Amino acid sequence: MKTKDSLKRLIVFLLLLCGWGSCKKAPIISDTSDQVNIIGYLEKNKAQFSDLLKILSTTGDNGFLSVYGAYTFFAPTNDAISAYLKATGRPSIDKIDLQELKDLMKFHLLEDTLTTPSFSDGKLPRLTMYGQYLITGASNTGGQTRITVNRQANLIQSNIRVSNGVIHVIDHVLVPATQTLAQTITSDPKYSVFAEALQATGLYDTVNILPGNNPDSTKQWLTVIAESDSVLAAAGFSSYAALKARYCHTGDPKNVTDSLYLYVRYHILYGIKYLADIVSNTSHTTLAPLEVVTSKLSGLTVLINDDVFNGVHEPGVELDRNTSDRSASNGVVHSALGHFAIKVRNPVPVYWDVADFPEIRNLPAYYGKQNYPFALTNMPKDITVPGPSAMTYTVGGTYVKGDFLAIPLGGPGRSPWVELKTPLLVRGRYKVWICYRTQKQSGSSNNVNQISIDGEPLQRSMNFTVNMPISTEGEMESQGWKWYTSPASNNWAGRLVGTIEIRTTDRHLLRFTTLQGTQNNNNLDMIHFIPQDMDQLYPRFMADGTPVPRP
Amino acid sequence: MKRTIWVIMFLCLGTSCNKWLDVKPQDGIIRDNYWQNKEQLQAAVIGCYASLLDNSLVQNLFVWGELRADMVAATLNAAIDEVNIMEANILATNYYTSWAPLYRTINYCNTVITYAAQVMETDKTLTQQQLDAYLSEAYAMRALMYFYLLRSFGEVPLQLKATSGDGTLEQLKKSSQQEVHAQIMKDLAFAEQHAVETYGNVITDKGRITKYTVYAIEADAYLWMEQYDNCIAACDKIINSNRFGLMDGSAQAQWFNSVFFTGNSNESIFEFQFDQQKQNPFYFMFGAANNRFIGSPRVMDEVYGIDLIDATKKDIRGDGGSIRAADQMIWKFAGASSGTTMQVRGATESYAHWFVYRYADVLLLKAEALAWVNKGQEALDLVKVIRDRARALVLTERTPDPLSPVDVSSYILEERAREFAFEGKRWYDVLRNAKRNNYSYLSIMLDMVAMNAPGNMQQSILSKYRDVRSHYFPINQYELQADKLLEQNPYYQ
Repeated sequence: MKTKDSLKRLIVFLLLLCGWGSCKKAPIISDTSDQVNIIGYLEKNKAQFSDLLKILSTTGDNGFLSVYGAYTFFAPTNDAISAYLKATGRPSIDKIDLQELKDLMKFHLLEDTLTTPSFSDGKLPRLTMYGQYLITGASNTGGQTRITVNRQANLIQSNIRVSNGVIHVIDHVLVPATQTLAQTITSDPKYSVFAEALQATGLYDTVNILPGNNPDSTKQWLTVIAESDSVLAAAGFSSYAALKARYCHTGDPKNVTDSLYLYVRYHILYGIKYLADIVSNTSHTTLAPLEVVTSKLSGLTVLINDDVFNGVHEPGVELDRNTSDRSASNGVVHSALGHFAIKVRNPVPVYWDVADFPEIRNLPAYYGKQNYPFALTNMPKDITVPGPSAMTYTVGGTYVKGDFLAIPLGGPGRSPWVELKTPLLVRGRYKVWICYRTQKQSGSSNNVNQISIDGEPLQRSMNFTVNMPISTEGEMESQGWKWYTSPASNNWAGRLVGTIEIRTTDRHLLRFTTLQGTQNNNNLDMIHFIPQDMDQLYPRFMADGTPVPRP
Repeated sequence: MKRTIWVIMFLCLGTSCNKWLDVKPQDGIIRDNYWQNKEQLQAAVIGCYASLLDNSLVQNLFVWGELRADMVAATLNAAIDEVNIMEANILATNYYTSWAPLYRTINYCNTVITYAAQVMETDKTLTQQQLDAYLSEAYAMRALMYFYLLRSFGEVPLQLKATSGDGTLEQLKKSSQQEVHAQIMKDLAFAEQHAVETYGNVITDKGRITKYTVYAIEADAYLWMEQYDNCIAACDKIINSNRFGLMDGSAQAQWFNSVFFTGNSNESIFEFQFDQQKQNPFYFMFGAANNRFIGSPRVMDEVYGIDLIDATKKDIRGDGGSIRAADQMIWKFAGASSGTTMQVRGATESYAHWFVYRYADVLLLKAEALAWVNKGQEALDLVKVIRDRARALVLTERTPDPLSPVDVSSYILEERAREFAFEGKRWYDVLRNAKRNNYSYLSIMLDMVAMNAPGNMQQSILSKYRDVRSHYFPINQYELQADKLLEQNPYYQ
């Protein structure tokens, strides 16, 4: 019996030994994340943010900032808030009106997570909850660069990721703009003449409406390019009277056809466009009907209306970086360093050699010498095809400068359309001639195209495989055909596809859409835009590109 | 009953007592059994070279040396971290701020340096001279890695001891730029003394460190610290050896084939020798249809220039040399042939070497140093040698005043862009020129940045580069967590 007992004990002991070591309690994780949220982060760093927390609890924003969401919060430190109190002459946070505090906090909050890599020189891609944009940038003082927000605060600490968003710590409170565009301009003595013109033309009211109250959604946000008194004086307008004397031809600046009225409208762009936005686009529509301002970045300077027109460079006007980008509650004000106005231009013909563009000129081994097949990945920037086919720069068949573009178009395996960006066209009515080398890829080939400009189809289609009917010049013109080569060749046809009203002086998009048939040999050489009251048949062009006037 | 006890006890023991006391791994060799003979020593040194072929290492060297400069453009396939570097939005979380691939090689070198001497005890056929030669390779490679780190990060921790296990992990502080540079020069001084002049065959001479490799690194490092006379002396040692020369450029196809396609040319001093077995990552970066990087449009327009009238007049280093003008593909690494037929390397042919130093580099390093010791005319003569070989176009020729060091060295900087396009040198060249004489020439860098920045970010990017602390990368987040003594570089704090 004794041995049995000791045996039992031994077995129990051995079993215990086996079990030992394996019965520690495994920690159970009940949270999905141990990351803190925005409020949690601020509370963890109370030394820095106690005032901010106080404001947030007064405004009630701490509620939604401590639960799930995706926010960007610019968090001012205690120092920032006390500096703000001091600057606005208030003894403590309690003395600030609740609504004002709420607005202030909303201006620091965005409903998206934005980290510093998405910051540019201009506005953030989202509105703040207050309803005004914040702009970002970077400034260097004493050799050290900091990212700035709204030109009011520097980022001290950036991209702090918390569970419900991103926190950027800032050293000053962000204050929204309180003045509208109209008020910003009128309150600045520098713009007294421009402001007077704004008043006189009645456009003051147009730029004096807050976005929320504006019934016209296209004009909720506007951009004004103002001219300062010194700029106007340099252009010879020392007073409003001088400006009025020059432009106001109807005597009533409120008249919609009056040139002064149009002059002021030409200085107002649709949309809120900071300089960073202005340089990102080449043209901007203005409140002057159908007039655009063109823009470009040249080195470090932002230029407007700096264009090459008909081979002549027209120097533009610089926008001053230091005094531009002034936020208003309904837009932004820029300052032009020169006087500019709508240019009156008469339509001029454009004889456009489509096979002459910078990308091919940069390949001297090919340009004018041998064929170059473009691929979808390296198409020139002003010619677009949707694929699957691209196009070939073709040499050897002669005509204008000895080259043309062979653009496969039509059904399966070829692109259904091709779009080309035209040279600058002056506002006016033009007849449009498509000049091509007639060719059929095979006996049954056919390729009928509709031409459209900016999406507006022209009256007549054209077919790359059709030969011109040959008769007399006049008879052919009446049927919409012409010889465009010199000496005249029947293989190279000019086909009139219709008359188009070009509404803005700008570059436009011309598209060939294949309606019927499919082939590779769509040989496009030139496109002529000729004002409708001008000679349509001359000049013709020699193979080296020289124009030959009417004999 | 007693039997049951025995059975149980036996069972408990039976399964587990085979090799309880023998803890050596079954499938490898441990350190105590290694370092026995000189073959093992050689294998360890070759292992250091093999680590240079690591994909992420050359990728880092390319990204560090090119992305912040003006020769490369990103395609739509580029990763967000790559685009962020180009737009000066570099955070400590950026993948490319990881220096791990370089420290891995450093650790291999450290291992050789620490244990190589043991071999002398067991292998009596190993001479002191041979041992020192092997050591010099490790020292030089370590110096080269630290030189890349110095130029990319500024201050880095100097790890000089082998980390052979968790027990030997060290927490290290950053060393100052001067300390890092002093260490580099110290390593190179040893290497210079003991490295061999030749291994007896061309391929090994170009792929392993020789005396001339050491001189080249020295020349580059002296120039970095603006010690011009030392730089010139180091260059002269290479030039006067008469072992190297520029490859003839009269037939572009041949020149491209020998210098870049096959590599190991007479012009080469040190290359990372990728081959068919160990290919480089460049096919996916430059050569594939969905490549991530192409040459910037300014490479043809401004750097090499285009003779619009006569296509036969071209800089051999431009179209067909470093770039394919038609689609801006980075031809130096993606091209298989040049001249009249330009074929792309296929996915299985991506073994272009990484060119660390070429003879042309030595000539231009010397020229730059000459310019700053008032020997401008000699410098311009050297530039002319480089230009003549490459048939550079007249329109890229400048005539700087030989007495103005900054004019001459700016011209050399332009020439270096042409000669070493995409070889991972451009950013370091610009930085070296900008920081010269206590950042007297920061405008060189700002001009470059202004032309290259996207319009809507130009002003911010310029402001960032005006802060000279931004010219060095941040320390990667992971490193900061692993080494508590590391402090983030101030610009990124």
